[in-house]
Amino acid sequence: MITPLAQYEAIVGASTVAQLRRLGKKLSGLKVVHVNSTREGGGVAEILEWMVPHMRDVGVNASWEVIHGDPMFFDITKSIHNGLQGKSVDFSPKDWRIYQDVNEMNAVRLRPLLEDADIVVIHDPQPAGLLNFCPNRKGRWIWRGHIDISSPFRPLWKVLRTFLEKYDASVFSMAEFAQPLPHPQFVVPPSIDPLSEKNRDLDPAALSGVRSQFGLDPDRPLIVQISRFDRFKDPIGVIKAYRLVRKVIPVQLVLAGGGAADDPEGKAVLEDVLEAAAGDLDIHVLLLPMDAHKTINALQRLADIILQKSTREGFGLTVTEGMWKGKPVIGGDVGGIRLQVVNYQTGFLVNTPEGAAHRIRFLLHHRERISEMGEVAKEFVRGNFLLTRHLRECLTLFFATRNMKKERTLHV
Amino acid sequence: MKTFEVKDCALLMRMSGLPPAMNLRELRDRVAACGENVLYHHFCETTLRPTFDDPDYRNDFAAWARLHMRDRVLAERLGIINPYAFDTIEQLRAVVLDIIDDRLGEVTMVPWVRSGNEFQFMEAITVIFDTGERIRNPRELAPAILKMTDGSIYYHFMEALRRPPLGKDDFSFWLSGFGDEYGQLIRRVEAIDFYFYGLVDLRRELALALTIEEEA
Repeated sequence: MITPLAQYEAIVGASTVAQLRRLGKKLSGLKVVHVNSTREGGGVAEILEWMVPHMRDVGVNASWEVIHGDPMFFDITKSIHNGLQGKSVDFSPKDWRIYQDVNEMNAVRLRPLLEDADIVVIHDPQPAGLLNFCPNRKGRWIWRGHIDISSPFRPLWKVLRTFLEKYDASVFSMAEFAQPLPHPQFVVPPSIDPLSEKNRDLDPAALSGVRSQFGLDPDRPLIVQISRFDRFKDPIGVIKAYRLVRKVIPVQLVLAGGGAADDPEGKAVLEDVLEAAAGDLDIHVLLLPMDAHKTINALQRLADIILQKSTREGFGLTVTEGMWKGKPVIGGDVGGIRLQVVNYQTGFLVNTPEGAAHRIRFLLHHRERISEMGEVAKEFVRGNFLLTRHLRECLTLFFATRNMKKERTLHV
Repeated sequence: MKTFEVKDCALLMRMSGLPPAMNLRELRDRVAACGENVLYHHFCETTLRPTFDDPDYRNDFAAWARLHMRDRVLAERLGIINPYAFDTIEQLRAVVLDIIDDRLGEVTMVPWVRSGNEFQFMEAITVIFDTGERIRNPRELAPAILKMTDGSIYYHFMEALRRPPLGKDDFSFWLSGFGDEYGQLIRRVEAIDFYFYGLVDLRRELALALTIEEEA
């Protein structure tokens, strides 16, 4: 259920929503197709879930398509995903063949829509091969990279680059994530929906219900990391940090996340986490269903401190979510976490489990700083990382890609 | 008298195409070579960008020097530069280069940053559009400003300084069309030390400066 744009006025102000409507009016009827690889699970699907209806709300003829593939394809694209984030991966010509075959198969189904669109936005590497199979495309094609590809595994990047350089433009969440490509490269940080089930205010009964459901002690501090079970999120490092804190403060830890349909590696990581947590009743490892948005919302609100101790990270929407709930975030000093977590202002950036433990102890011994930082964090998100800003920049991007002249100002 | 046409703008950031700088000498070389829009972005468009609003670092070069190069001296020298005090971007560039050259002459080794902390040279496209809203009477100006988006405030105040008539914001320019009647309001606007305000604070200060008191 998508909230009408008008309801965001109470959060961001009427003028901000009116601005979106004005931009949308100028793009009225523009045919925009978003393509990604999964309809649920993961940050991209969450973004498209609200973005497409809101684009339609302001007048853009937007739609969302998902490519289909077998488990072998998603194993391959998971390897691509890992390789783009710097992990050494084995990749054979046969793997690329499968990657292309699946993209071609999807292109057969989607070609009429994609070739007819004014703007096609391809999200992440999985569907990037579609462009090669749409020779009669009439619109602009934009590749939207949601992950940090600043230090990719080079053999993989050299091949993937040949797919991406044919696009008219690319978009990254941060400038630091980009690789040189022979077309305009834009920077659009992602955002959260403050009125979604995952972020809207919850009543105390809902919070205590979740607290009871997972046996959390209301009288002891709670630290929470929400993220899929992925090695780059360093869940084992989080447990190590917890154990260092636990020596002096009786803290509780929740590590919660869902799997994603395109993430076969998650199961193995979850097993490692369960093994590391075995025997400790104060570590709650929760594999939540895809639609457990309200539970995640409640866990973040129940937390005293949010952790996101990633060693590699795209933008880190869970950081934004935690900040929106008025919590300080202790995050890994990587990727988009740096854009959001400002030391002593909205939380702390750390590099090791020891660093995380130190900051957790600091905050638990200075409880007043928890609420102060949380308040600053929430206002920072309100001004910069809500979907209204994101939607505005996407609409602006459509203007810019339709008019590819290198002008500083564009009157519409 | 002509009505005031309320415009709005939205910023879209893009990579400039320049390689990132890993140390102060590279920063110097890139600043010397980059386009005017790149300098303008890192000094002036920072207020419209999703970054933490830190009044210590109003420009990206100062922030980078402090946060990543850990050079407090350079950060302070760059941080005080008011780009709007210069008639042209080239004058601004010359001052920045002068400061960097001075620093390079003082240090015993070229300050550098770790991989991942490079300075990324960006620029932006500003998409400008008419809101359809019109202000006919100067008395309407302050209440209208309070309702404007950040984009409108930026466009009519900061961006306007770069458009002819150079150095003049749109609000003051419009009021000056009424002769001397609103000279006091214009002087109040000119007195705002705006470079150290975020857009939210600037909106409040502008509305305050342009409020016309009702006569008793």
